[in-house]
Amino acid sequence: MKENISQSIPRSDAKAKLRGETKYIADIPFDKLLYAKTLRSTKAKAKIRSILLPKIPDGYFVIDQHDVPGKNRMRTVVSDHPIFAQDDVQYIGQPILLVVGEDRETVYNILAQIQVEYEEERPLLTLEEAENSSAVFTDYHYDKGNPCAAFQNAKTLIEDEFATGYQEHVYLEPNGMAAEFKGDTLFVYGSMQCPFYAKGALLETMDLADDKVRVIQTTTGGAFGGKEEFPSLIACQVAVASLKTQKPVMMIYDRMEDILCSTKRHPSKIRYKAALDENQQIVALDIDVLFNAGAYNGLSPVVLQRGIFSVTNVYHIPHLRVHGRNFMTNSVPSGAYRGFGAPQTIFGTEMMLYNIAVKLGIEPLDYKARHLLKRNDPTCTGGRIHDEVKMFEILEKITQMSGYYEKIKHSPKYHGIGASLFLHGCGFTGKGETVINGAIQLTKKNQEVTLKVSSVEMGQGAETVLRKIVAYTLEIQMEQIIFEKTDTGLVPDSGPTVASRTTMIVGGLLQQAALEMKERWHEAESFEVTRRYNHPDFLHWDDQKFHGDAYPVYSWGANVAEIEIDPVTYELTIKNLYGVYDVGVPIDLRSLEGQMQGGIAQGIGWATIEVMETSQGRLIQTNLTNYKIPTAMDVPEMEIEFISNPYEFGPFGAKCAGELPFVGAPPAVAAAVSHALKKPINHLPIRPEKLMEIDNEN
Amino acid sequence: MKIEFYLNNDPHEIEVDPAYRLLDLLREDFGLTSVKEGCGEGECGACIVLMNGLAVNSCLVPCGSILGKHIITLEEFRKTDRYEAIEKGFMDAGAVQCGFCTPGFVMATESLLNQNPDPTDEEIREGLSGNLCRCTGYNLIIKGVKLAMEKGAGLW
Amino acid sequence: MVNAFHPETLSKALEILAENPCTIMAGGTDLMAQKARGFAIRPVFEHPLLFINHIDELKQISLEDNEIHIGACATLSELLESQLIADTFKDVIRQMASPPIRNLATIGGNICNASPAADTLPYLYALDAQVEIQSQTGLRTLPIREFIKAPKTNGLQNNELLTHIVLPNKEFDINFYRKLGQRRGMSLTKASFHGLANVTNGSVTDLCLALGSVAPTIVRCELTEQLLIGQSFINIEEILPTVLNKYSEIIKPIDDARSTAKYRKEVSIRLIKNFLLGLGK
Repeated sequence: MKENISQSIPRSDAKAKLRGETKYIADIPFDKLLYAKTLRSTKAKAKIRSILLPKIPDGYFVIDQHDVPGKNRMRTVVSDHPIFAQDDVQYIGQPILLVVGEDRETVYNILAQIQVEYEEERPLLTLEEAENSSAVFTDYHYDKGNPCAAFQNAKTLIEDEFATGYQEHVYLEPNGMAAEFKGDTLFVYGSMQCPFYAKGALLETMDLADDKVRVIQTTTGGAFGGKEEFPSLIACQVAVASLKTQKPVMMIYDRMEDILCSTKRHPSKIRYKAALDENQQIVALDIDVLFNAGAYNGLSPVVLQRGIFSVTNVYHIPHLRVHGRNFMTNSVPSGAYRGFGAPQTIFGTEMMLYNIAVKLGIEPLDYKARHLLKRNDPTCTGGRIHDEVKMFEILEKITQMSGYYEKIKHSPKYHGIGASLFLHGCGFTGKGETVINGAIQLTKKNQEVTLKVSSVEMGQGAETVLRKIVAYTLEIQMEQIIFEKTDTGLVPDSGPTVASRTTMIVGGLLQQAALEMKERWHEAESFEVTRRYNHPDFLHWDDQKFHGDAYPVYSWGANVAEIEIDPVTYELTIKNLYGVYDVGVPIDLRSLEGQMQGGIAQGIGWATIEVMETSQGRLIQTNLTNYKIPTAMDVPEMEIEFISNPYEFGPFGAKCAGELPFVGAPPAVAAAVSHALKKPINHLPIRPEKLMEIDNEN
Repeated sequence: MKIEFYLNNDPHEIEVDPAYRLLDLLREDFGLTSVKEGCGEGECGACIVLMNGLAVNSCLVPCGSILGKHIITLEEFRKTDRYEAIEKGFMDAGAVQCGFCTPGFVMATESLLNQNPDPTDEEIREGLSGNLCRCTGYNLIIKGVKLAMEKGAGLW
Repeated sequence: MVNAFHPETLSKALEILAENPCTIMAGGTDLMAQKARGFAIRPVFEHPLLFINHIDELKQISLEDNEIHIGACATLSELLESQLIADTFKDVIRQMASPPIRNLATIGGNICNASPAADTLPYLYALDAQVEIQSQTGLRTLPIREFIKAPKTNGLQNNELLTHIVLPNKEFDINFYRKLGQRRGMSLTKASFHGLANVTNGSVTDLCLALGSVAPTIVRCELTEQLLIGQSFINIEEILPTVLNKYSEIIKPIDDARSTAKYRKEVSIRLIKNFLLGLGK
């Protein structure tokens, strides 16, 4: 079997999902199961003076900080979030304790009777307040070239500022976990992206030996970053409960609870100072990136890193001064979400260039094209663009597909067209891959090959794509490849399912292993091949100075959006959305089309209708009636194309793909709106409420 | 409260709290887990079943209102030719990703085509506007419905 | 477990209501969502539930003496199917909720909730609809605007049931309805406007304007409508500032999770202006 890898094949999990046979965590029966429900803080910041419990009936339990055998902190990049609140609470929704028992009704009744006495303290509520109080979790700086001199010699100085809001993932399956002990071994099951993250957290919190904890991912109904670090918290909570009760314990969130307390996309503020030379070229940028990390820092430092390392987007800016800060506020913690900090900074940079072009009277796309990175150019962190950049090919294709140049000249008022150019750094930031040092394994048994990775299927198609890479490399049938259950007891740690690294990094390792297996195929009936990540020699990164190759390679893309604004109501309609992407060699076009369309739809949601705000530390939009994500009636037709640009180290030449489409859609829509109204759009989401205001300004 | 109703074509008589949600009855008491709870407020459509042939959000239906009603879940619907056409259409279009919304979309598609066998694109979008999907961006699902209409021509 | 009644007839339902304070359950789409408590857990109701949505007498839609009588338990989907319902009204209903919810939700439920954002209300106000209310002791009829008292408060006594909605069987030359939601598909209304008018020879002969979700109850102002009726299109342009000022005074929206008071007010005025200036076009 030797076929074109890009040609689509059926997804291996589609049929069972269509038939409704697939079991998600809430569908799985356990013997003698107890249900858990969380008591949460109702205060944004307070000391806990006392907790008054009602009489707890037999067979029901209260689980709190005192039941934690190990560390009462969730292990992640910064392990600061308590598993259960200790003496204080730092945000509304913070978990204090669990009530556990057989009958949900009784559990709810006990919960309703618990009284917590708080001593309220003054919370920090907004990013502005946090900045004024210097409540900084993380503070990063890096420079490139000689920004001081560049600013001194500048012909023109331009300043601009951008802001973006929260976004909730709204994976259709809310969070859920179950834990049980079999003998002295802890088994944890649930909806998650990173079984080994959960395992690492469990080892610390449960104080168990490595071989006494197994984490088993159940079919995951969407994640988008929302099930990267957050499930570790629930995993630890149900594990503690299971230890105390000596029974299986399950906790399934309802939607309101999930919205209330799960992580969100970081709200941001980004300030730019641009230095232009006599040719109106941007020669230097001074960029200040502010993220609202919420009450605990958690994963936020690495989100901020990707944010500030994506800050020059697809452009070559010789001199840079970059400042990035995560701020602490007494609100729900922000965390991983598709794009991981880059959507915020790329939106800012795209719109900053757009605004400058408009000010200078230059066609925005032409102005952007003047600054494009080329192969061998230095990146913002002084690394190098090692591979061929096909942005001009992408540009040509997208402007033709969309009729961009015709429409930008001849759009009637309240109609607009806008373009965005963008990239996404593939895989982990900096030394991430080396630190994780992911491993994979292929096991041959007779004519079948079992593929063992910890990378999970969460809807994105990883299972099919990884099996395909192995099958096509071995030139055997798809049916001969078995995808091992993502159980930390059965698979090696190939790293978390994040950072668009699964196809490129994990798939790359699988392809190497498969090549070796192919050579040795007739050596024995049964044998295995293991591979570990090897960082290419030519990539250098200094984690202290933030200097070098922040990413091994980039995927690239362009979007064009056509929009219409109702002149009476200012409602925004996105008429058409075009996308051209360079993801290396596309592995399975239909699967990629799904990633691109889905990513665009989420990006459009964030850019337009997904309004999430807080008041006094409390979320205003608390359910899906108020927090609206796009429906089938809200997404435009999309025209998607790929250009081929094989990457030497990717399987079949593939690069990253999952996050890329999210990044591009918001600035394309914003540029189109700006074009329609002839006013700058510096804030997301773009609401009719705001458009009416700015159109009426002079 | 004593309730007689039909579930997947079989008559049942049960004793139940009239405020108990049809969703919970189906999942907890009958083990029909194709029916999903995604929001509990009628917004997401993951719990859609057919009641007397029409799509309804089972999270919003109190058991007290299902007397004499015919409830069909995907567990039964998947035995039909119409289901086969929808399955084929959705597979070929790439309409399935995480799958959590999928049973609801299948049932909503059946209800839509049952009422309107030849919907326009706009009518399909409207007909599925009670179902949320966060993975696909919907266009591939719309395509799936159109392919199902072709493959199942004459079935609706 | 909450007690429940499931009467087969209207008279039986009224008999039950006369003796017991009940929570009336029709389609359940609002009540069940409001009372939702969490994953796999039942809603709790204080009062016994009175199920009425299966009662035939409450589901009929009929034409009598040039009036449309709509049973309170007709679902939104049934209204869309009915030959008797005006297209003008169907336009409104088609933009409500989603198809599966419309298969459950009833017109009576939408009215009785008395939400400022209830989507059937602007049209019913514009047409001066009447509601029929029954108890064991008899039947009374109220204009819709007297039935709706305040947000979430209707004019029903404990022993009463809303049984029918009565509408004049008429269509207008000009029908303009705009519902603004947070998105296109399935949204609660952040502001809505319904303008209906008849025009002859360059003048307005009949007109009603109703606005939803921009005050505690639906906004309609007969005095101002009277000012406009009989005017030529040119005159309307002249008196427009007076008209808009009047509406500015009575539109009293709020800030909430879905929109801002400022936008709601301004967009309402713009919709009225747009409608009135468009009459001649």
